[in-house]
Amino acid sequence: MTNNNIINLTNQVFEESFEIEPDRLKPEMNIFEDLGLDSLDIVDLVVALQQKFGVNIRDDERVRQIRTLGDIYQFIDSLKTD
Amino acid sequence: MINRVVISGLGAVSPLGHDVPSFIKGIRAGKSAVRQMAGWDKYIGLRSRVGAASVLTGEKKIPRKSRRSMSRMSIFAVQAAQEALADAGLDTVICSTGRVACIIGSTMGGAESLNETFEIMLPDKDLSRLTAMKFFQCVSHTAAMNVAQYLGVTGCVMATSAACASSLQAIGTGYDLIRLGRQDMALCGGAEELHPTVTGSFDILFATSISYNDAPQSTPRPFDEKRDGLVCGDGSGIVILEEYEHAEKRGAKIYGEIIGYHTCGNGSHVSQSDRISMQACLTEALADAGISPGDIDYINAHATATLHGDKEEAAAIREIFGRSVPVSSLKGYIGHTLGASGALELIASISMMEEGVIYPTLNLETVSPECQGICHVMEPFKKDIRILAKNCFAFGGINAVLVLRNGKYSNDQ
Repeated sequence: MTNNNIINLTNQVFEESFEIEPDRLKPEMNIFEDLGLDSLDIVDLVVALQQKFGVNIRDDERVRQIRTLGDIYQFIDSLKTD
Repeated sequence: MINRVVISGLGAVSPLGHDVPSFIKGIRAGKSAVRQMAGWDKYIGLRSRVGAASVLTGEKKIPRKSRRSMSRMSIFAVQAAQEALADAGLDTVICSTGRVACIIGSTMGGAESLNETFEIMLPDKDLSRLTAMKFFQCVSHTAAMNVAQYLGVTGCVMATSAACASSLQAIGTGYDLIRLGRQDMALCGGAEELHPTVTGSFDILFATSISYNDAPQSTPRPFDEKRDGLVCGDGSGIVILEEYEHAEKRGAKIYGEIIGYHTCGNGSHVSQSDRISMQACLTEALADAGISPGDIDYINAHATATLHGDKEEAAAIREIFGRSVPVSSLKGYIGHTLGASGALELIASISMMEEGVIYPTLNLETVSPECQGICHVMEPFKKDIRILAKNCFAFGGINAVLVLRNGKYSNDQ
C-alpha cells in the first residue's frame, strides 16, 4: 500500500467517523487539540482503523504515542515492516 | 405539603410529523401513518410487515460529541424535549439548577444499536469491531441519559421501563416527585424505536396485525370486530411537568393539571391483561384525584387492537363508566408507539381538551360484540372536556392511569 493510500484511507476515517471536513485533515494537526477528539473517540478511532486497514492495533502500545494525524500515517505505514 | 402539578410544555416526534402541530394536524385529518415496511420480508417468521415509523431528520443540529452516544430513539427524545422546553418558554439553563428532573421511559432501549451490536459480535464471537458508543446507544435508559446529558439536567434522572406503560409511569413518577416537593419541574415521557425485532417480539406472541400487510392503512383496528392485532410505531413524546405556583409565577401556559395517577400490576399473567386489575387501576386513579366516574368527560384508551386486550379494557371501562363517557383510541393513526405511546397520546388528548373535540378511533367501523357497552367515538365529537383519563396497560401485567384536568379549569379546585 502506498503512502497516499494510507493518507486517503485514514482521512476517510476522520471524515466518516468524526465528521471532520477534508480541508482540516493535514498531517500536522493534533488529533486532540486541533481535531477535537477525546478519549472515547480514540476507542472508536482504533476500531475504525482496524476495519479500514485490516489490522489489529488495539493492544499496540504505540497507539498511546499518537498525537498528530501524521503520527497515524507513520504508525500505519510502520505496520508493513513489523 | 402536597403540591399541585401542571403540564406547561409539549413536545412530540411522531409518525405523523416532527413536532406537536404536525402530529395533531394528522390526527385531525384522520391520517394513518401505517406503512408497509421495506425489507421486512427477509425476516423468516415475521408475519407482520407493517409499521408506523417516525422520520429521523435534523439530527446533525445536535453536535457530534453529544450525538455519538444517541440511538435513533434518543435523538427523537432530545428533539421532543427541546420542543417541549421551547413550548413552555423555558431556557435550557434551568435544567442545571438541580430542581428539574428528567424521566423518560422505553420498552426496548435502542433496538437498532442493540441489533447492530449482536450482528457485529455473534457471527465470530468477536468484539473487536464494537465501538465505544454502542453501550450508550443500546441501554434501556439511553433516551433518559442522553436527554439529561444534552440538556445538562442535574436533578433526578430516571428511566422507567414498563413496556407500553413506560411513559405514563414516567409522567406519574414526575408527578409524585413534584407533588412531594422534591423537584420543581420535570421533563417526562417516553421514546421507542421501530425495528423488526420489536415487531417480531409481539409477532411471536400472536399479538401483531398480520392480515392487512397489503392494506396497511386499514390496521390497527382498535375495538373493531375485524381487529387482528397491534402495529408497532416509534417516536417520542415529552411533557414538561411543573409545580403549579412555579408555573403561575412565571406566567406559563397551563395545558392541564394532573390530579390523579395510579399504577399497579395484575399479578396473574405476563401478556394477558385482565379487566379486574385494569378496573382497579382506574378506580384507584379516580380515588387519587378525589373524583367519581361521573366527573370524567373523556377516556383515551390504551386499546392496541389485540383481540384480548381491547376486550378486557372495554369490560373494565364498561364496569365503571357504562356508556356515559366517550372513549377513543389513537393507535389507528400512529400505531402502537410502545414506550412513547402514553406520552404521545396524552399530548393528543390535551389537544382535544383545548379544542373541545374528541378525535375518533380510526379504523373502528363495526364495534366488536365483546367491546360493546361503552361510548365509542367513531366520528369527531364536540365536547367540553374538563377532566380526562389516559390508560396504558402493558405487557408484563403493568397498568397505569393518569387523570388530567383541563388547564382552563385550574382555578376550580
